Amino acid sequence: MPGIQDVSMTLEFPYQRTTGPVIGPFLTGLRDGKILGSRCGDRVLCPPLEYDPDTSAPLDTDLVEVGPGGTVRSWTWVVEPTRKHPFDHPFAFAMILLDGADTPLLHAVDAGASDAVSTGMRVAAQFREERTGAITDVYFVPEGQAKAQDITPGEEPVTISEHLIGLHISEPLYPHRVRFAQGLLDGRILGQRSPASGKVYVPSNGYDNMERTEMTEADDVEVADRGAVSSFTIITPVQYYGQKETEPYIRASILLDGADQPIIGVDVRDIPVDEFRVGMRVQAVWKQPDDRDVAELGNRFGGAWEGVIDRWEPTGEPDMDPRPLQEFAF
Amino acid sequence: MARPSAVVGIGQTDYRKRLDVTLDGLVRMAAIEALDDAGMTFADIDAIVIGKAPDALEGVMMPELSLADALGAVGKPIHRVHTAGSVGASTAITGATMVESGRYDRVLVVCYEKQSEGNATWALSGGRSGGQGAGGTFAPWIRSYIQRSGAPDHIGWQVAVKDRQNAMKNPHAHLHIENIDIDTVKNSPMLWDPLHFLESCPSSDGAAAVVIGSEDVARNGPNRPAWIIAHAKRTEFSSFPGRDTVKPQAGVDCAEALYKKAGITDPLHQIDCAELYVPFSWYEPMWLEGHLITPETEGWKLTDSGATALDGSFPVNPSGGVLSSNPIGASGLIRCLEAANQVRGTAGDYQVDNARVALGHAYGGAAQYFAMWIVASELSPQFN
Repeated sequence: MPGIQDVSMTLEFPYQRTTGPVIGPFLTGLRDGKILGSRCGDRVLCPPLEYDPDTSAPLDTDLVEVGPGGTVRSWTWVVEPTRKHPFDHPFAFAMILLDGADTPLLHAVDAGASDAVSTGMRVAAQFREERTGAITDVYFVPEGQAKAQDITPGEEPVTISEHLIGLHISEPLYPHRVRFAQGLLDGRILGQRSPASGKVYVPSNGYDNMERTEMTEADDVEVADRGAVSSFTIITPVQYYGQKETEPYIRASILLDGADQPIIGVDVRDIPVDEFRVGMRVQAVWKQPDDRDVAELGNRFGGAWEGVIDRWEPTGEPDMDPRPLQEFAF
Repeated sequence: MARPSAVVGIGQTDYRKRLDVTLDGLVRMAAIEALDDAGMTFADIDAIVIGKAPDALEGVMMPELSLADALGAVGKPIHRVHTAGSVGASTAITGATMVESGRYDRVLVVCYEKQSEGNATWALSGGRSGGQGAGGTFAPWIRSYIQRSGAPDHIGWQVAVKDRQNAMKNPHAHLHIENIDIDTVKNSPMLWDPLHFLESCPSSDGAAAVVIGSEDVARNGPNRPAWIIAHAKRTEFSSFPGRDTVKPQAGVDCAEALYKKAGITDPLHQIDCAELYVPFSWYEPMWLEGHLITPETEGWKLTDSGATALDGSFPVNPSGGVLSSNPIGASGLIRCLEAANQVRGTAGDYQVDNARVALGHAYGGAAQYFAMWIVASELSPQFN
């Protein structure tokens, strides 16, 4: 049985960029084995810019070739590369003033060891075998190590680029969330009763936001694992990146007995849509203790009910009056 | 005492999918059009305010920094406003407040979204599978409104048709749907019961901009100003016991503060037209009631009577509204600048006859952020 762990999640999306009249040709150039800069007055900017940083005027879109050699202006050594870094071994990020350019390009130097890098050292561009029209099509090596390359230009210009941008989040569960998680593993739903208003929040934020009062372990209370549907929505899933749903499904708010705030976004699969209604009494059917999993529980999103509750079933009790439940919709 | 302020320049891009231009190029187009309208260049601007919906929509963090070059903002104060879907109107109000404070005479307000670069429903789902999205969140509250008010089903369909018909007159609108009628709307796929596909806003790209000037700037500009006679913002938590999601208290409070500041006692008769933030059709009657323009249960009757059509007594969303164009971060500013277009007499084919006083409005988050302004053709309009 997975126990209570730190929060660990990756937020990731393949964003698309329109590259435009300057970055488009720059990326096309990289794919074709050339590094291009933009003219700005009597200077050449590399990386090129679409607008003049001094005057905001559009810059000439007729780019000029710079490099492939350049001089390191400053650098830092990356000891432990991450999966998003251009190399899987230690390397340098360096500000490289390419020959013919007046502004430095931040890029990676594959130098082997940190003592092989120094400010003022000469480096040269190397292009990767597989190029897609991205900044990662190129990297730099100490000038003497550069190999001659025979590069065949591609056909279509690069107008759109795709970037899988991700953020990995790792943090401890807050203490009140740890107690809530332990409750779920034990088959109990814990809330907190505000010492100021007497209202019971489930799951609790650890404070009563209406009364601006902190809540502590002494305020923990158990609420029932049954209650009334206070609101629900039938979702037609949008097929976004990472979406696993393909068919319409219900997301419900349920006001548990003993709580003053509904649990929201509860996944309901086993009650037919045309029987589902506000006011309906339902109860949780828990998973077997060994199957309960709170790994999806974070500090900010709902209760990760799907990890511990197998399904919600109608209790067969008479419905509650739907009108007052409207104040417990969300 | 705050100084008067006015909209002295307006700029908008077209709101279709813009794969032809970068984010920088997009915001610049709107900004330059607004500056031209105001008879200014970037050099005349004292400060810049940028608004957009959450950064996760395009995955560009702190875009106010990277957009500074394209907006002529280098070396000038630049501010960023975040209030989810209401951000466009909040940003307009921030710009007005900066001028009213006396610190700045000419403020450039720019808002945008380029939805084609990301996915809004992914972003609103916190990057997780099985998200509710905006429509899924609002649908049950809409059902509650329908139950409470006794509104017939066709009200939502009627708003969807009316706003798209208005959009046919607006060259900037994303959706231009020929021959749309009630049947087309109600036969479109159900997305989140009771909301059909055609009762929902599109995913749009686009930028909008206004130049806000002091009284002196407004009186000496090349074109007619729209005087900003009142504005208000209010917020509430998304979730708390006893929350009325159909008629949020923050929306009521915001409207009361707004009308009081403007000297309006009878909004339905003293305001000539409104640009309300209606991303899902039912929010027209919901905000008519939620912002005290009509009593409860009377909002849908106003819509049903045809009064909110372009030739009605209280036109709502003459431009076609959010239902026809939704570059999210810009949508609130578009409501505010379309209100200004009406009182300046620059609304083109969707001009409301004799519009003197107009309301611009936006809401955001889980219907919890509200921002509204009233613009007028005169600095001190008289209300009877």
